[in-house]
Amino acid sequence: MRALFLKPSRKCLDNMSVINCSNLSKRYDDIEALNKINLEVNEGEFFGLLGPNGAGKTTLLKILTCQLKPTEGKAEVFALDTSNEFTSIKPKISIVPEQESPPSFLTPREVLELVTNIRKIDNKDIDYWLEFFELEHMEGRVCRNLSRGQKQKVMLASAFISETKLMFLDEPFINLDPLVQSKVREWLKEYVEKGGTVFINTHLLENAERLCDRAAIIHQGEIQSLITLDDLRKQKLTLEELFHEIVK
Amino acid sequence: MNKLILFRMLQEEVRLNTSFASGKGFFSFPILVLISGLLAVLFSDVMMNDMGYKEYLQILHISAIFYGLFAGSLAFFGNEFLERIFGYFGLILGLSATQPITQRKITLLYFCKEIIFYTLFTMLPALLGALIGINYTDINVVNLLTFSFTLYISFCTGISFSYYISSFYRISTTSTITAVFIFLAVYSSMFYGKEITGSLDWYLNGNIKLLLLGLAIPIMLSTIATLNIQEHNTNGSINIIGYKNRFEEYNQTYSWARKISMPGIIAKERIDLERSKTGTKMFLSFLFPLGFLTFMNWFLDKGLPIQIDFNTIFYGVMIGFFGTMLYSWLNSIDTPHFYSTLPIQVSDIIRARLFLFGTITWWIPLIFMALISYMSNELNLLPIGLIVMVTVGIYIVNYTAMSTGLKTNSALFDAFVFIKFFLISVPPMIAMTILSLAINHKPSTILVALSVICGILSLLSLTFYKRIDTKWNNESFD
Repeated sequence: MRALFLKPSRKCLDNMSVINCSNLSKRYDDIEALNKINLEVNEGEFFGLLGPNGAGKTTLLKILTCQLKPTEGKAEVFALDTSNEFTSIKPKISIVPEQESPPSFLTPREVLELVTNIRKIDNKDIDYWLEFFELEHMEGRVCRNLSRGQKQKVMLASAFISETKLMFLDEPFINLDPLVQSKVREWLKEYVEKGGTVFINTHLLENAERLCDRAAIIHQGEIQSLITLDDLRKQKLTLEELFHEIVK
Repeated sequence: MNKLILFRMLQEEVRLNTSFASGKGFFSFPILVLISGLLAVLFSDVMMNDMGYKEYLQILHISAIFYGLFAGSLAFFGNEFLERIFGYFGLILGLSATQPITQRKITLLYFCKEIIFYTLFTMLPALLGALIGINYTDINVVNLLTFSFTLYISFCTGISFSYYISSFYRISTTSTITAVFIFLAVYSSMFYGKEITGSLDWYLNGNIKLLLLGLAIPIMLSTIATLNIQEHNTNGSINIIGYKNRFEEYNQTYSWARKISMPGIIAKERIDLERSKTGTKMFLSFLFPLGFLTFMNWFLDKGLPIQIDFNTIFYGVMIGFFGTMLYSWLNSIDTPHFYSTLPIQVSDIIRARLFLFGTITWWIPLIFMALISYMSNELNLLPIGLIVMVTVGIYIVNYTAMSTGLKTNSALFDAFVFIKFFLISVPPMIAMTILSLAINHKPSTILVALSVICGILSLLSLTFYKRIDTKWNNESFD
């Protein structure tokens, strides 16, 4: 595990909210992608947003990462309005989008150099991340010629090297082989243990169950259920059972 | 089945275009074309008096060929850009990869769809505008319909020529260049001493054989193109391995430019430009219209007793205007989606690309200007031509960057954006073209007038550049 910002352990943290949505709605023409979403994610939490395809997960993530403006309501990240505080929010977050799209004509090493250069952080960890994702053998190859899984690894490495306190991941495990999935899961767990916050969009319930402290199930643009995973376990319910119950 | 595929392809085309521009913007385009047709007829008397009857008709035919070429280029080379800009982009054209239909057949259907689409969305509205216009002129309706038919053949020639080129481009660059030269040689030998197109010769001189020849050309071109389409093509233009790490080196090289944009972004864009081999494509995209213009100039000079003096200053205006193409190429190299994960703004990328336009791609227009002035024995006009070229280039590229951002090609599909672009670009170009053609009559007056226009354009360029941040700071990369 690389030295990150190394904040005190999450146990020591008070429950400061890093993400806050109030009455958040987004419409595309006649389609209500999000309808009056109210949500709060605290610092040091591993939060999952679960839902079927087209439920509004990516739309919410794009609003939270300043890529989309809501039609109504407000979204705040680190108490900053995502609609107009772009320049203050972006340096504090890292993003792995749904579509793996590293720069086509750069090699993985050059991509990480670009990221550290723009974020003005030390680039001494580049070799570590290339090795972590088994990309060191890809020296001299541009991302255009990598497989989808390898491209996804470059996207994850770009996010992990960024040393931010909050990470937004949209379906990060898609296209990854089981071994790498396991490595990524372990790293993310440790990241949260050390005070980082993860907001993950996924429909892979098994991964959500293993990782998340809390999760919201979103369906047809509305949050149907907000769950604490510990409580769910106490009730001897699985996330899959609950998900099927809500979405069916 | 073919009818269904054709219909779905037309639906797809409309949906594709409305996804680029607003629905209103796209559906306003035929109205814009209708107005152009109306104006062309209303001002036809003035134009004919000014230019001459034949010359006006020739210009219309040249424009129709160019329009066909442009439409065909978008159709047959556009998908590559779409893939790059948007990542994966599936069209019905790609159906042969998964369904039992041959590449040849689906490409032919795609070509038919292009002809139908442009006929419905541009040629028919233009004709309708012209038909409305003849109510206010003494132009005969039969003459108008006959001439429109000849123009349509020229349009089909242009679009078929694009199809023909694209079919060779799938094989190799060498075969493309050879095929272009062969066609131009055959065409000029067939029409030497005659009108610029067979259909125009028929319209002016009643030679039915030339009309048939004119009709045969697009059929021949599209037949050759269709037969050329193979099921398997290898694209060996991008190396698989062996790229040296360049980022840090270029980041250092451009550290002096940090006031314009981030050196890291400039370095990334520079690497993109090199590895995608877009420089060669930029060069060829200049070569093509300029070669065609020079060919037309030669054809009109040698083949017909008409003298139009396209001098070095005129080419300076044209080449400067083609700067839009260079900027558009810079926007077509790679998808900007990755930037959305970083703490940077759209305006940072626009400024980095403007920087590259000014520092890296300048050699392309310079080579053309130097060659044209040398070949025309006008080296004395080269300094003025270069000043005009640089001024027009900076003006038009700054406006394009300010108004279209990182999506130049798709933004210009919006009729409202296009009208603004037209109004900003065409008036100074017309003024400078007229002045350039009159340079030998009153040189000192013309030079003063050119200097004044260049001064105004420079000030406007600065204004456009400053507005980039205001307009694009809060936009997303999607």
